[in-house]
Parts: sequence; C-alpha cells; structure tokens
Amino acid sequence: MSARIIEAGGRKVGLVEIGDGAPLLYLHGFADLHGVRPDPFPFHQALATTRRVIAPAHPGCGDSDEYPDLSNIDDVEFHYLDVFDALGLDHFDLVGHCMGGWIAAEIAVRHPERVRSLSLIGASGLFVPNATIGDVFMMAQPARSVEYHDLRAMLFNDAESAQATDLFPDGRGDIDDEVRRYQMLRFSSFVGFKPPYFYHRALVNRLHRIACPAMVITGENDRFVPRAIAEAYASGIKGARGPEVIAGAGHAAHLEAPDAVAKLVTELLG
Amino acid sequence: MTPAQLYCWHFMAYPHLPADFDEKYDSGWVTVPNALWDADRSRGLYQEYIDQLTLADDLGFDGFVLNEHHQNVYGMAASPNIVAAALTQATKRGRIVVLGNLLPLHMNPMRVAEEYAILDMMSGGRVVAGFAPGGGPETFNYDVPSAPSREQFWESLDLIVRAWTEDGPFHHEGRHFPLRYVNPWPKPLQKPHPPIGVPGSRSPGTLIECAKRGYCYFLSSRSHGSATGRAKDQFAKILEQHGHKYHPFRMGILLSVYVGESDATARDECEEGVWYFLKNCLKGHLRTEGRQLTFGPGVPYIPTKAWRQYLETSQPGRKLLGDAENWEELEASNSIIVGGPETVLERLKQLVDQSNVGNLLIQFHIGNMSDDITRASMTRFAEKVAPELRAYSAKVFAERFPESEEEMALAGVHT
Repeated sequence: MSARIIEAGGRKVGLVEIGDGAPLLYLHGFADLHGVRPDPFPFHQALATTRRVIAPAHPGCGDSDEYPDLSNIDDVEFHYLDVFDALGLDHFDLVGHCMGGWIAAEIAVRHPERVRSLSLIGASGLFVPNATIGDVFMMAQPARSVEYHDLRAMLFNDAESAQATDLFPDGRGDIDDEVRRYQMLRFSSFVGFKPPYFYHRALVNRLHRIACPAMVITGENDRFVPRAIAEAYASGIKGARGPEVIAGAGHAAHLEAPDAVAKLVTELLG
Repeated sequence: MTPAQLYCWHFMAYPHLPADFDEKYDSGWVTVPNALWDADRSRGLYQEYIDQLTLADDLGFDGFVLNEHHQNVYGMAASPNIVAAALTQATKRGRIVVLGNLLPLHMNPMRVAEEYAILDMMSGGRVVAGFAPGGGPETFNYDVPSAPSREQFWESLDLIVRAWTEDGPFHHEGRHFPLRYVNPWPKPLQKPHPPIGVPGSRSPGTLIECAKRGYCYFLSSRSHGSATGRAKDQFAKILEQHGHKYHPFRMGILLSVYVGESDATARDECEEGVWYFLKNCLKGHLRTEGRQLTFGPGVPYIPTKAWRQYLETSQPGRKLLGDAENWEELEASNSIIVGGPETVLERLKQLVDQSNVGNLLIQFHIGNMSDDITRASMTRFAEKVAPELRAYSAKVFAERFPESEEEMALAGVHT
C-alpha cells in the first residue's frame, strides 16, 4: 500500500493505492477509508487482489485540500476529471460508497466511455418520492453531547457492534479519526446540507447513458440511503445487476460484510 | 465619560410548555412539536412582551435588544424587524438593537438593507443594525449550508453597507448575491449608516472581520468572568493589528439579571422562570441533555484546523449553562445574576471592572416569568442598580480609556 499526495486542478489530493493490475477508482463515503481511517479496510484489500485500487480523498478530506469554490455535485465531478488527468487514468473500474457512489454515477453518466464497470454501494444521489435520504448532519450532533448512537444507527446495521463503536465511539475518540469524520461532514455539507439533500434531481433521467456493466448493492437495513434509491439506480441503469441486498448489513455494507460485497464486485469486474 | 450602556434584551420565549416538557421532549429547538403551541393562552403574548420593552423605555434604559431565531421555544421573534417596527412606534427614546438579522437566510440582502433603513427612518435614527450568520439550529431549520455560510454572510453585510453609503444604482458582482441594480430607497437616517453589531462566540474569523471594519462585537457566550476579560483582550489585540483601538463600546456582552426585593427573597421570586429557561428553552441549545444543535460536527462551519484545535483543548460533554443543577452552579457561570439590588449592583460592577465592556445586554424576562415579576425586576434595576452602575462605569472607563471619547462618538454611542 502507498499513500501519496498528488496535485490536480491546482489542489493537493491525498490518495491511497493498493494492489497491481488494471486501475480501479474507489470513491469513499462516511464510514470508510478517508471518512474515518487513513488505511484501507478488508473490503478494499479484497478488491486489490485483482486490481490497482486508487482511493483519493474527496476535497477537504484526509490529506486533500479543501475546494472553497465547490458548490454543487458538478464541481465535484469536474474535480475528479482533474484527478484522472493528473493520474493519467483513461479507462477504469469505478466503485463508490454512499456519496462516493453518487459521484461515481455522475462521472459514469457524463463519461461512459471511460468507465469499465460501475459498482454502487449504498449510493445516494437520486431523488425518489417518499424515500428521503437521512439527515446525517443532525445525527452527527451527539446526544447528551457525547453519544453517537444515532449516527452509528444510521451508518451501520448494529449501532453497538464492535466495528461501529470502534469507528464512531462515544465521547472523544482518536483525534485524527474525529478530524477525518469532521472533514467528510464538512465536504458533504457543501453539496448535501441544503436542498437538494444528497440528490441531484436530473440524475435519474441520465442513468440510461451509462454503458458499462453495473452492480447496485445495498445493506438490508440501510437507514441512511433508503432501499428505494438502490432500486431506482438498478432500474435506471441499463442491464444493471441488483439491487443486491446484503443480509444483516446496514449502510456501510462493505465494512460490515466485506466478503459478500467484495464477492459481488469481483464478479462484476470479471 | 460615557457610562455603561444598559439595554433590555427580550427573547420573547414561549412560556406555556407543559410541566413535563423536559421529561418528554428531546429539544426546545427545530423539532420541538408545534402541537404544543397553545393559541388561547398565547393570545396577547407579543403585546405583553412589547409592553415590557416600552416600560424599559419609560424607565430610562439605553435601548432594547431583539434577536432572530426560528422554530424554537427560546425566542419567538422569528422576524425581529416586525417587532422592531412596533417598537419604533411604542417607544420614544431608547435605541432599537436588532441582533441581528440572519443574513444567509435571505435570498437577497437588499431586503435587509431596506428594512433597516425603514426602521431607522421610523425610529428617528435609533436603530443599531445587527447581523448574524445564524447558529446551529438555523442551519437545520433554514437549510443554511453551514460551511459556506460565513462567506455568504460577509458578502451580504458588505453589500448592505455599500448600498447605504454609496450612491446607486450600482452593479454588485458577488459570488453569492450578484445584483444588477443596487439602489435602495430609502436610505437610513443615521450617517454614514446605523451602528453595526455582530454577535460571536470568540471565533477568530468573526473577531478579525469585525475588527477590520470597525464594527461592534457582541460576545454571545453565556458564562462571564475572567473569560470575558480574555475575550476583550483578544479583540483588543486584533483591533490593534487592524489599526483600531479598543474602547468599551466596541464590545457588548449578554447576561440575564433578576433584581429581587432582597437577597433573601430573590431566588424564590424568579425560580420558576429561571429553571423553565434553563431546562426547556436551553434544551437543544446550551444544555447537554437531549441533542444540542448549536455547535458540533454536524454543523461544520468552522475550518477543519479550528475543529482540531477545539478537539485538542476541550472536554467532551463539558457542562453548559443549562446543565446547572442548583443555584450554586448557576452562580458560578456568572451569566444569570440573581439577588437584591445591592448584590446585583456589586456583581455588575465587578463584571464591568473585569471585562471593560461597555454594552450590557440584559435579559430581564427569563423563561416563563410572569409579567408582574418581570416588571418589578426591571423597575428595581432602573431605580436601585442603574444609577450607581452608570456612575461607577463612567469613572472606570474615564480612568482606563481617557482618549476614547471621540472614537466612541464615531461608533454611534450616545454621549
């Protein structure tokens, strides 16, 4: 594994690379690499057995510079075009979780020729009536000033699991982890705090432009991004597989059930 | 020398919550169910509050303070300019301080420029124009995207001041509020413009931007003592770095006061109102119980570096004003001062002495305090505390800030 900082669009972008092979771009969410921890999780390691996994931190996250002019998802998508140029990435597999899945879908509808395959895990980004994406910001305000139970409940199947309480402990956690969590909230607040709340109304009508093999994955008990969003992705993307529902997992299905999710993604990668 | 300016601050709290509110509900803010609104009992409520501020005018207070909050039981002046408009007609003398209009909530800042100008005209030049970016709760109930809201805030404030001082029509090329025709009618009565105040809780960014522009800084922190003096020192240092000099009227502080008949009876007299305020109004804002929305990772408006610094220097779950369990803990915060006239006078003299702050914004109506008790407290304050506090503060300020008189006049302070 190597962690490095590249320059893209005049900004520093921190990224982690693991494995060898054809390039796979991984875009992170909250309970994730860069979202909490600097190192890859077992899920990312599993992808790296057949691919060179490149996982950049979103603007303002991890070692990446903040992008002060960022005001909508378009800006994020164009930021990533700069990242692809800087990395010399032309054609790649694309995997995204949560907001990272949304960004991946935005990239795939605009540049279908660059995306070899698309895997979405708990991806936000679509508006579906009566399927409101959760308010992660309010849940990130701890109850009694120290308890993150409600945030964990939004992100994991079992809010009190060892994994959930390790990544989002009550009280003061590891300060670097807390800073990364804050950075991810701050970054996402630029595009998801005010309406549209983590969605782009036009995206659903653009999904048919995605030309590559696609897989839509959701945790059985995702309490952040409702199942209906995964269903809308699966029915909007031509020939997409899914939604594959991961039993016993929540929003962070790739952390809670890394083997099951990695198996699905690997099948798609072929 | 100008004495401390004594303002009567009214939050306009909702006073009719059920007795078991704290037990049953998580918060007095944003999500507090408005099914609890009792229309019959609330008839006449705003009039009662406006009449209390009219009394403040009759009693010789230097002015009245209103602020803007939304969807909460703590303060129901959701549109403070409407209440201020009533005050322009109901009062004759005191300054009308709106602290402040929440700028990122307005689609077009010119509306605020116009409303303040009208209020200034209607009041004969008595307006102090306050501006605030909005706190945590407002980011939730008005969808202010909190990271860019500071930038939006300063762009709108600078545009408003430019609109008041520069002849129009002109073109504003802002990032957030581009406007082809900036040309407000009317302009404010006060020249060059009404005094401007910005509240803050010691965030360096706000202190610096206020200092650059020479605006008055209102410390919204709810604990006073040595920390208040330190905030003043911090602001004074930043002012100097930007070519200004500190004087007591560059800053204001917020506190609550209850003046009882005597020390022996004061606590009993105001107990219901004070604890209603602490337990109910502050729940969701300055109380750890429930879910506090004012500050934290879910309202990520401070830069990441500042957040790291906060994590490194603070204790998680530290007690807030609303966590006080008893009178002794409450006393320690020095933010709600309760006692007979002599005690209140002594403690306010101490506060002036320690802080060197000249604008005291004082909340008299606390929680669900009855009209009678509120009026009695205000009257005792005006008769038995204010005269000596004014004399004392004028003397202290004259000794410590001998060269500031002219500058204070520029800052719009009555002399």
